[in-house]
Amino acid sequence: MKVALFATCLVDQLCPQVGVSTVEVLRRYGCEVVFDERQTCCGQPAFNTGYRKEAKKFAKRFIEIFEETDAEAIVSPSGSCTAMVKHFHNLFPEQEDWRERAENIAARTHEFTHFLVNVLKVEKLQSSFAGRVTWHDACHGLRELGLRAEPRKILNDLDSAKFVEMPNADSCCGFGGTFSVKYPEISVAILDKKIEGIEKTGADVVVSCDASCLMQIGGRLSRLGSKVRTMHIAEILASQDSKQ
Amino acid sequence: MTQVTSETFDQNARVALRDTQLRGALDNLVKTFGDRRKEVIKTVDDWEGLRNEARRIKDETLLNLDRYLEQFTGNAEKAGTVIHWARDGREACGIILDLIDAHDATNVVKSKSMATEEIHLNHALEAEGVNPVETDLGEWIIQLANETPSHIVVPAIHKTKGQIADLFVEKTGIEKTDDVDVLTNTARKVLRSRFAEAEVGISGVNFGVAETGTILILENEGNIRLTTSLPKIHIALMGIEKVIPRFADLDVFLKLLPRSGTGQRLTTYQSLITGTKRERDDEGPDEVHIILMDNGRSRMLAHPVTRQSLACIRCGACLNACPVYQQIGGHAYGAVYPGPIGAVITPQLIGLKKTKQLPYASSLCGACREVCPVKIDIPALLLHLRAEIVDGESDGIAAETQVKKKLGERAAFAMYSFLWRRPRLYSFGARLSRAFQNTIVKNGKARSGFSGLVPPLGAWTHWRDAPAIAPKTFREIWKEELSKRND
Amino acid sequence: MIDTAAARAEILSSIRRNLAASQPFDAVYHEHHAPVAQPAAIVQREKSSPNLLVQFKENLEAVAGKYRVVSGEQDAANAVQDIVNELKPRTIAVSDSARVDALLNRINTNVRVLKNPSKSELFDCGVGVTEAQYAIAETGTLVLESDRERSRLTSLLPPVHICILDAKNICGTMSEILQIVQNDLSRTVTFITGPSRTSDIELTLAIGVHGPRELHVIVISDETNA
Repeated sequence: MKVALFATCLVDQLCPQVGVSTVEVLRRYGCEVVFDERQTCCGQPAFNTGYRKEAKKFAKRFIEIFEETDAEAIVSPSGSCTAMVKHFHNLFPEQEDWRERAENIAARTHEFTHFLVNVLKVEKLQSSFAGRVTWHDACHGLRELGLRAEPRKILNDLDSAKFVEMPNADSCCGFGGTFSVKYPEISVAILDKKIEGIEKTGADVVVSCDASCLMQIGGRLSRLGSKVRTMHIAEILASQDSKQ
Repeated sequence: MTQVTSETFDQNARVALRDTQLRGALDNLVKTFGDRRKEVIKTVDDWEGLRNEARRIKDETLLNLDRYLEQFTGNAEKAGTVIHWARDGREACGIILDLIDAHDATNVVKSKSMATEEIHLNHALEAEGVNPVETDLGEWIIQLANETPSHIVVPAIHKTKGQIADLFVEKTGIEKTDDVDVLTNTARKVLRSRFAEAEVGISGVNFGVAETGTILILENEGNIRLTTSLPKIHIALMGIEKVIPRFADLDVFLKLLPRSGTGQRLTTYQSLITGTKRERDDEGPDEVHIILMDNGRSRMLAHPVTRQSLACIRCGACLNACPVYQQIGGHAYGAVYPGPIGAVITPQLIGLKKTKQLPYASSLCGACREVCPVKIDIPALLLHLRAEIVDGESDGIAAETQVKKKLGERAAFAMYSFLWRRPRLYSFGARLSRAFQNTIVKNGKARSGFSGLVPPLGAWTHWRDAPAIAPKTFREIWKEELSKRND
Repeated sequence: MIDTAAARAEILSSIRRNLAASQPFDAVYHEHHAPVAQPAAIVQREKSSPNLLVQFKENLEAVAGKYRVVSGEQDAANAVQDIVNELKPRTIAVSDSARVDALLNRINTNVRVLKNPSKSELFDCGVGVTEAQYAIAETGTLVLESDRERSRLTSLLPPVHICILDAKNICGTMSEILQIVQNDLSRTVTFITGPSRTSDIELTLAIGVHGPRELHVIVISDETNA
C-alpha cells in the first residue's frame, strides 16, 4: 500500500526520530512511503486558540497538498493532528465544496496505531523491546479517534516487553496546547497526578501516540530527575532490541 | 464577603492550588463520585442508548421551545398554577419579592436551586428585609459561612467536617463534635423550627412536563418536600430550558440524573407537583407559582453548538470528571456555575468581556463530554467561544463582548500563519531556532531574561525541561536518507 | 402583582427569533450530528429479576429501608405492633386510609393515635403510618398519590414512617408507574426510596435529615412463601 506521511510540525522539529520510526515500521509492513516536503502544520494551534481565519488557511493548504497524492492513505504519528484533519470541515460552514474536500481528505487520514491494527491489519508484530512499559491514553487519540484497544494490543504483543496498565491511563496529562503555558500551574498540577500514576506502575518507559503529551510528561520527568523515559509507540515498534 | 470573579480566574486558580485541604477534599470527591458512577452505570442495560434518547428529547424540545413552554403553561394553569414570566434575574427577584410582600410574609424557606443562585435571590431578598433560610444541608452550611457553592450538587464540598463543626458551634451554640450524625441532627433541629413557621417556600425545578403542566423536583434530604408542602405559598423558579415534552420522558431523565449526579440509582424523594390542591383543606400550599425565567437562555438557541448548552440537567458529572476542576475546585471559576458547564454557560449568560478566561481554562481533554448524560460537546463549545473571543463577535452571546484584542498573541499567530505556510520560511525558521536555542535555553531551562521576554517559554520551563530542536529535522533526514530507501 | 404578559411575549418572540437565526447553521451541523428523529418507544429497563417481591425487598433494603412481608391484615397489625412496642413513641399519626385505620384499631397500645393531625401536632408525632398506592420493584420505591390518600405530611414529618403496601400493587419499572399515575394524575405524586439522607459533609453518608430517618414497609401478600 502507498502511504503519504503526515509527519507533523512537532515531530519534524523536536522529535524527528518519531517520524523516522514511523517510516521504518510502515516499510517493514510492506508500505511504500512518500513524504510531500511542502507540508508544514495542520493549524491545530490556531484552531484551538480561536484563530479560525488562520486555521482555515492551514487547512486549505493541507487539503490542496494532500489531494495531489495518489497514496491510498495519509498516515500520521499524532492523534491530535489526525483529529484536527478530521475536524477541518468545521472551518468551512459556508463553503460546501471545501467541506466535501475536507471530508475526502479526512476519510483517508489515519493515526499510525489505528492504521497498523485496523487498516493494514498487522497480525504478528516483528518488534521486541526489553523493558517495562506503560501506556498513556492521549486525549484526542482516545476520545476523538477511539483508540484504546489498538495500542494495548500492540504493547501486549511485543516480545519481551512487560506491559503494565496505569491506574489513570485515560486521564489528561495537562498539555492542551496553549493551555500548558496559559495556565502552567494548573497544567503541571494535572501533570503531577499523571506522573503519580506512572510511578505506581514501576515502568521504565511511558508510551503514547502523541508527541505533545510525551513532551509534557517527559519535560516534567526529567526536571524531577526521574529515570523514566518517554517513547512514541512508533519508536517502540521500530525497536528490535533483543531480536534474534 | 469579597466577591471572587472570573476576571481573576488565573489568580484564583493559583490560590486554590496552594490550598492543600481543598485539594484533599477534591481528591475525595473525585474518587468517591467517580467510583460510584462507574458502578451504578452497570445497573442499566443500555447506558449509551439512554444518553442518546435524552439528548434526542432535549433537541426536540429546544427546537420547539416556544411551543412546549406554551403547552406547559396552559396545562399548569388548568391545574391552578400561576405562571409568571421573567426576562432576567432582576425581574424574577421582583416577582418573588412582590409575592412575598402581597402575603405580608416574613418567614421564607428555600430549597436548593442553582437558578436562584444565578439571580442572587437571597441577596435581593435580604436587601428588602426578608431573610430566607436555606434548608438543604450543604446550602445552609454555606449560607451560615457567607460563602457561595463550590459544586452544583454538593455545595459545601470544599469544607472539612472540622470547619463545619466550628461553624455550627459559632452559629448554633452546640458543643464541638466531629460526629457527622450529631452535626446533621443539629441542622435538622434548627431548620425544623423554621419549617414550622414557614409562610413561603421557594424551590427550583428539575423538569417541567409540557403534556401535563407538572414539575418534578428530586432530592435526598426531604427539605424540598417540606418546602413545597408546609408553607401556604410555593414559588418555583424554572429556567425555560427545563421543559420536556411528555410525562413518559421523565423515565429517561430519572435514570440518568441520579446516576450521573450522585452515583445513586434514584434519589430518596421525587415530588411530582401538578397545580394546587383540589379541596381547601387538602394538604399542600394554597398557591403554587412557577416563574419561567429566560435570563440569557433564549439567546443560546441561535446556533446549534451553543444551543446544546440548554440540554444541561445540572448533574455535576462534568465537574467530577474534569482534570482542571479536580485541581482547583469551584470557587476559582468566580461564577455561579463552575467546572466545564460553568465555563461555557457563564460567558453566554453574563458576556465574554468579564469571563474571557474561562473558555481557555481547559486542556480540551473531553472527559466532560464522555460523562455528560445528555452528550453536550463541551470541547466544541469551548472552541466556539474561543473563536468568538478572538473575533470579538457576538452571535448568540450577550452584547458585552467588546473584548480587548490581545496584541501580542495576535501578532504571534499572524507570524506563525505567514511563516509556517511557506515551507522554505518554515525550514529557515527551524534552522534559526536551532542555531540560537542554546542562547535561550540551557539544559532544558530558560536562560535568565528570556523567560520574561518570551512568556510561554518561561511558563513552560519553570516546571518542565524544554525540548531541544533536533540537530536534523525530519524533513532534512528524509531528504538525505529516507527518501532514497523506499523498500 | 407584576403583570408578566409583556415578558411572556418577549421571551417567546426571542425564542422564535433565535431559532430562526440558527437555521442556516443547523443544516451544516447535522451533516455530522445525528438529526432529530421521531421519539423512540420508551423501552429502557433496568436489569430486573422475575420475582417483583424479591426485587422490591432487595432494593428497599439496599437503601436502608426495613422490609417485612405478612399474609393478612392481622399479621400486618402485629408487625405494626412490634415496631410501636420497640420505638415507644408518644403519639402516632395516621393518614386517612381506611386500611391504616383498621390496622391501628387492631393493635393494643396506650400510645395516642392521631387521626387527623394538624400540622403542629405532626411535628411532634413519633411515628407516621400511611399506605402506598404503588411501589416500584426495580428501585425499591414507594408511590404515594395525594388524591387517593392524605399522606403527604404524615409520611414526612414524623421521624419514623411505617408504610403499608399491598403486594399486588408492586410494579416492575418506573416507566410502568409513570403511565399508571399519569392516568388520573394526582396533584402531588411522591416517590419515596428509603429514609432521608445526605452526603453534604465530607461525602459521609448520614441517614435521617429532614425526612424520616426510619422507613418500615409492611407488604401484605397473598403468597405465603415470600
